[in-house]
Amino acid sequence: MCLGTPLARLDLRLAASSPLSQPPSLLRNSHFTDVVLWLLRQRRRWRVVGESMVPLLQHGVEVLIDPAAYRQCRPQPGDLVVAYHPRQPDLPIVKWVVYVEAEGCFLKGLNESASTDSREYGLVPFTHILGQVVCRFP
Amino acid sequence: MLNQAIAKLQAWFPADAVHAHCDGPCGVYDPSSARVAAEAVLSMTKKLVDLELPAAGDKAATVAYNNTFSRYTAIKEEQAQITKDELLILWTDYFKPVHLDQFPDLHDTFWKAAKLCSACKVEVSVQHATELMEAVQKIHGMFWATKSRDVSWYTAS
Repeated sequence: MCLGTPLARLDLRLAASSPLSQPPSLLRNSHFTDVVLWLLRQRRRWRVVGESMVPLLQHGVEVLIDPAAYRQCRPQPGDLVVAYHPRQPDLPIVKWVVYVEAEGCFLKGLNESASTDSREYGLVPFTHILGQVVCRFP
Repeated sequence: MLNQAIAKLQAWFPADAVHAHCDGPCGVYDPSSARVAAEAVLSMTKKLVDLELPAAGDKAATVAYNNTFSRYTAIKEEQAQITKDELLILWTDYFKPVHLDQFPDLHDTFWKAAKLCSACKVEVSVQHATELMEAVQKIHGMFWATKSRDVSWYTAS
């Protein structure tokens, strides 16, 4: 596991980070509107498997993502996102955005000891981001 | 009401899984854990073979012999199982179909290595324990070749 370069970059970034790059601590429950948007296929359901996003997302909970969230803009630090793993393109992962660069996002788990993330595989290209997690479901 | 309907719907139509763990995607593998366990198997096998029988009628020596024999056997058994587990993780989790192009005998190598782990448990065979080490060394070479890295083979003992 090569941690040197990504970790060094993370340290540099965190040193100059804005308050927005703090890890997300809240995720709202779905509203009626979210359910309607899901029925209209404007939201997609995902079931979280694993512990790397504890305490915010427990194993087994479902979330809704907005697949169109980043069509007009880029992810922002602090966003929760679903993305394809950069080394296993068929493996969707859920992480939070620590910072954004021209080539992609630096993603991390909330439960660092149980997470494999950009600390190992570096920046995740924007094309791998499937959408923004907007709420729990229900 | 709405939540109840959604809960039923979730039960009937499970959502796709999005992964939040490090087991599947962590990508941290190293055949050295299998090598250390296999070394212990070979070491315990040699010690069992070299163990001197106690003198007839010497109760204390017999008790000590049985105790030592049991401990060596237990460790051999345990380490052989660990070797097998570590090899199976490499085989099933790390190696991918694309590696078969590079190593067409990949499946056969792992299958035989796993069989050797079983043989080392069933028997007290220095030959099979040595062959297990050789199999682990071969896997070590295959593993690092897939990463295009030149990691030399070494043993702790």
